Amino acid sequence: MPRRDEIGGWGALPRFIGAAAVTLTYLFLLAPIVIVIFTSFNPTEANAFPPTGLSLRWYHEFAESDGFVSAFLFSLWLGILAAIGATAIGFLAAYALLRFFARRRELGQALTMLPMMIPHVLISISLVFMLTVVELPETLTLLLGHIIICLPFTVAGILSSLDAVDRNLEHAAFTLGASRARVMWEVTLPLIAPGLLSALIFAFIVSFGDVYIALFLSGPGKTTLPIEIFNYMNWQSTPVIAAITSVQVAMIVVLGLAIERLVGLRHVMRIEETRR
Amino acid sequence: MTETRRAGWLFVTPIGLLYLLILLAPLSYFLLLSIFKYSAFEMYLFEPTAENYQRLLFDPYYRGVIYRTLRIAATTTVFTLLVAYPLAYFLARYGGPGRGVLMFLVIAPLMSGVIVRTYGWIVLLGAEGTINTALIWLGAIQRPIQILRTEFAVIMAMVHILLPYMVFPLFSAIVAQERNLEQAARTLGASNLRIFLEVTLPLSRPGIVMGSVLVFTLTAGAIVTPQLLGGKEMKVLGILIYDLVLTTLNWPLASAVASLLVLLQFSVIVLYFRGARGRAAA
Repeated sequence: MPRRDEIGGWGALPRFIGAAAVTLTYLFLLAPIVIVIFTSFNPTEANAFPPTGLSLRWYHEFAESDGFVSAFLFSLWLGILAAIGATAIGFLAAYALLRFFARRRELGQALTMLPMMIPHVLISISLVFMLTVVELPETLTLLLGHIIICLPFTVAGILSSLDAVDRNLEHAAFTLGASRARVMWEVTLPLIAPGLLSALIFAFIVSFGDVYIALFLSGPGKTTLPIEIFNYMNWQSTPVIAAITSVQVAMIVVLGLAIERLVGLRHVMRIEETRR
Repeated sequence: MTETRRAGWLFVTPIGLLYLLILLAPLSYFLLLSIFKYSAFEMYLFEPTAENYQRLLFDPYYRGVIYRTLRIAATTTVFTLLVAYPLAYFLARYGGPGRGVLMFLVIAPLMSGVIVRTYGWIVLLGAEGTINTALIWLGAIQRPIQILRTEFAVIMAMVHILLPYMVFPLFSAIVAQERNLEQAARTLGASNLRIFLEVTLPLSRPGIVMGSVLVFTLTAGAIVTPQLLGGKEMKVLGILIYDLVLTTLNWPLASAVASLLVLLQFSVIVLYFRGARGRAAA
């Protein structure tokens, strides 16, 4: 009797085919990103891979391009503000769903997912359209749009952190005479701090990578990095894009690893893993 | 009790206001525009008309755009499913070392944003790109072949970009399966292939449905990837909306296109879920 391993007791040949398929899929998944990183060190104008040499020319170009640097900084600030907004609002909503409306939790949770079910293009156009009716600063509208698209992620992440909180700790504090606000502030919040931090980081990543909301809501001097790149690439493409996107990828990998350390990426992405 | 209720409503006020005033109200108003007359001077006139929909559905140009969008979205969905299934199956059943890293490698591209990955495909598929260089080096072709600005390039990149959206619902569906069912089938003498086809695959249906709906709707509404990889001539519904809003400034027609997109997505969702339920009951 051959030993059966975890992958469902398949024979040697199907397992070999399966392993090859999975390896190829990973190659497919990662190749475009790895190639961008290599291209960014290319000394020539071409978006070529394999590169013909090694240089930091395109990183210099990025650092010296006012348009890209200011777009990078704009995206950074926008991402930070959107992350703070979405985490704060998301925490209040998640807390209310679990502690005040526990019986309506399913419905409430589904409602908070609303922005994920509407194509982001439509959210964005509606916001532009709103500006033709209501006088609001464009940047504020962009920020509100980003907060909206981040909220499904922050609410879901914080909900799963709150689920893990031992209610007895809160009850103990109540029994000792603490007010609900004090329990929330001094017991619940510290307990879910890792969840809050990872919601913050994830929202930042969502905001920083967004194209669709910003596509219709960018003005001169108020362009996010992805839109600046998109506009540039509509006319030309040089490895300066590779350099910028490499910086972005590095940043996201670091932030992603931070979330993985804090709570595990899977929980933030709401990937269910209930083994039976 | 009333005090806690009040506190509860207070806590959900910010998200409620945002969703109602900044999301749903503008969206409804925008979609309503599609039944109003276009005016070059005032954006739109409050005169109900069917002409936007007529133009969209009967003009051969717009029909072509609708067909192309549907074709790209359907092809992308099928290929994404085919590529994603083995990976999801593997991740769900693999318990060895490095499992966390392997999961991370699927999530990480998702976080890098659409632009990064689209640019990656430009580098891969361009005239001096990896694929052309490799083919010339292998002697398969003499000079670079045109891959960018074809539907193939768009579909390839869309499959890549949307792969995680398919992998994770599949993963959840496969992980949630009762392993005893496979064991039972094996005890009864079923072959591995038969177990897979008659037990595992049918039980992954919720994941297949969920992932397909996500990928289809996200492809149907895409702008950036078709525009950058498909070139200026390859119009899809998303690009049509973009042009109508930013260049032509024909808001009512843009609204009609958007309404069509919403309708399309809802009918796909309804069809899929009804199909899923119907077959599960049978």
